[in-house]
Amino acid sequence: MTVEELGQIPPLGGSFVRGASGSGVAAARRVLPGSDAPQTTTLPDTTLRVAEVSTSGDDVARRLAEYERLVGERPSETMPAGFLHVLGFPLATALMVRPEFPLPLLGMVHVENHVSLFRPVELGESVTVTARAEGLRGHRRGTQVDLVTDVTVVGDDSPAYTGVSTYLAKGVHIAPAPEETERPEFVPPLPTARWRLDARVGKAYATVSGDRNPIHVSVLGAKAFGFPRTIAHGMYTAARALAQVGPARGDAYDWDVQFARPVVLPGVVDVSVRPGTDGVWSITGWNARKRLLHLNGSVTPR
Amino acid sequence: MATSKNQTTPPAAEAVIVGGNRIPFARAGGKYSSASNQEMFTAALEGLVARYGLQGERIGEVVGGAVLKHARDFNLVRESVLGSSLSSQTPAYDLQQACATGLEAVVTISNKIKLGQVESGIAGGTDTVSDAPIAVSEGLRRALLAAGHAKTLGARLKAFAAIRPADIAPLTPSTDEPRTGMSMGEHQAVTTATWGITREAQDEIALASHQHLAAAWDSGFFDDLVTPFRGLTRDQNLRGDSTMEKLAGLKPVFGKNLEGTEPTMTAGNSTPLTDGASAVLLASREWAAERNLPVLAKVVDAETAAVDYVHGHEGLLMAPAHAVARLLTRQELTLQDFDFYEIHEAFASTVLTTLAAWEDADYCRTELGLDAPLGSIDRERLNVNGSSVAAGHPFAATGGRIVATAAKLVAERAAETGRPARALISVCAAGGLGVAAIIESAADGSVSTGSTSATGSTSATGSVSTGSTSATSTTGTEA
Repeated sequence: MTVEELGQIPPLGGSFVRGASGSGVAAARRVLPGSDAPQTTTLPDTTLRVAEVSTSGDDVARRLAEYERLVGERPSETMPAGFLHVLGFPLATALMVRPEFPLPLLGMVHVENHVSLFRPVELGESVTVTARAEGLRGHRRGTQVDLVTDVTVVGDDSPAYTGVSTYLAKGVHIAPAPEETERPEFVPPLPTARWRLDARVGKAYATVSGDRNPIHVSVLGAKAFGFPRTIAHGMYTAARALAQVGPARGDAYDWDVQFARPVVLPGVVDVSVRPGTDGVWSITGWNARKRLLHLNGSVTPR
Repeated sequence: MATSKNQTTPPAAEAVIVGGNRIPFARAGGKYSSASNQEMFTAALEGLVARYGLQGERIGEVVGGAVLKHARDFNLVRESVLGSSLSSQTPAYDLQQACATGLEAVVTISNKIKLGQVESGIAGGTDTVSDAPIAVSEGLRRALLAAGHAKTLGARLKAFAAIRPADIAPLTPSTDEPRTGMSMGEHQAVTTATWGITREAQDEIALASHQHLAAAWDSGFFDDLVTPFRGLTRDQNLRGDSTMEKLAGLKPVFGKNLEGTEPTMTAGNSTPLTDGASAVLLASREWAAERNLPVLAKVVDAETAAVDYVHGHEGLLMAPAHAVARLLTRQELTLQDFDFYEIHEAFASTVLTTLAAWEDADYCRTELGLDAPLGSIDRERLNVNGSSVAAGHPFAATGGRIVATAAKLVAERAAETGRPARALISVCAAGGLGVAAIIESAADGSVSTGSTSATGSTSATGSVSTGSTSATSTTGTEA
């Protein structure tokens, strides 16, 4: 795998423009029979790397404060895992909008996210961020891919943070789908909290995360991808659940989330965030009226 | 105790309850819809002043508060004092502990009296949901602040430009728990479901609350505890003619989407939003005796507890179960050692989940750290003159209502029987808080130091006289 050094974290605005046009090209490739453009079915063998990203500027501090406020994190100079995800997200996106990336960025659905935070990262520490794509695989509704982001504090040998975001490109079948497994029926637990999410949540998280995917910020954009209205970022809901665990998660933890049905905005999400006897915290978010699961997962102190 | 051997430490003084006064509680948007917290608390104070002849008196301290409070009311209690006929040399401060505000105020005043720091004090609280402060939205607030901080016209305009149409909508205070986003009713619905409390059991508590409160009003029990205000002479929410059938006909309002449970909590067995204020006069026995004031009861001890409701480990309103357990252990009393139980009815089911918890051996062992369950109580002694479901619950005013009621109950009982009577008070509060207190009749003047026995007998006389008049009314209740 080749490592490609970038001078700085690429701005996301440009990525989404490229992503939009790239998605068009990718879509055209798939729908136009006899198109002479070769269909890419492999992942780019490239790791994008940005060394010594400073987190000491006022802008990062301000963004961290806004992030903490939005997702309900306690005020802290230690960056929550969700904020490290936000830091690395533009790099992962930059990889996905490259012409050689086999799946269209727009319309991709975030289906799972697995994070390991090995050590706390403080505001002000310089970090090296890398992103690579792995595990292109079939799914009954399309094709999945893992975007792996590492954040390493400068001077450390191993990453402080590793995040694996699994995305699904619906309707793109470029790899064989596995056998379908029966999903167990969802039985809601008793709630410990209730989130009343107004229509502005999508834009608010887009502002702090930089993820301005139209399905989150524009009703028309959302409709274009088959949603009745805008939907909440999955990572916003996951970050709120992580915040709700509170200090019990410790300095280092694993944070694993699977996203089921999207949260259409405005919406009410019933939430259960509870410790298990084994010290593992379970996270569940659902629509109580319709008995639909939005997200479930766990937080495991390391 | 180690201190009893130390001859230089004087024995702690007693903190006695002289009496209380409140205004009738009004339903939200009812008789007090234009009354402010300060007006209501001043009215409650003035009634107390008139009842006990405190005009011009410099009280040691007045402590109280409001749960829903406007920022301009930073000195709500002191301002109320200044507007009353108490001496303007009476110090005051605001205290706020959600629905436990009033009881915590009683506890803190009684502690100062016991320490000898003050000789007298007034504890109370007031709340209005009708005249609640309304805030601007977070977006508008931040824009206005940014504009205020801006140094140039351009920067100011830029700050105003950040205002979005949706920011214009005002924010009204809500009773949702900030940390969970669930209303108190929704939280209690989860606790109710966890403990398997039935609809019928809740309706029975609600009906008893109305019947007991109506009987207490009819018997004149509140004649020396309540001052009419704005044309209201009785608690507006009281439905003395309520029946199980009427209560059973109400639709559930909380816990409607809880998996595997039937919703049971209705507007009938939950506390309505209410406006009102209350105040309680506390003093050292000597201070009361010098002024020929009655002594109804003494504050024995109190305990505040908090529970982890955020992660569903415990119900939001279950802290009093913990507070009472610790209080009983410290006082070496059993749950059955009481003549009266005043368990604040935030919801009828709050009373029932608390009682169920005390009866549950497993819960008492794992959660309360007790070898044996606290056991059950004689329901005939529970909220005998009604509680919040019937009277209403103006958050900070409830503690004062309960303490004054309980103090008068134990004084009457002691006068009737010639034996001391004891009451257990428990008040749950938002934030997983709960306060419990024990009060005891104090007419016997059993002060530990010999020098105060003379004043003790004086106050006993005063107390007995109150007791005997109200004993008559108690008979009326039973008739």
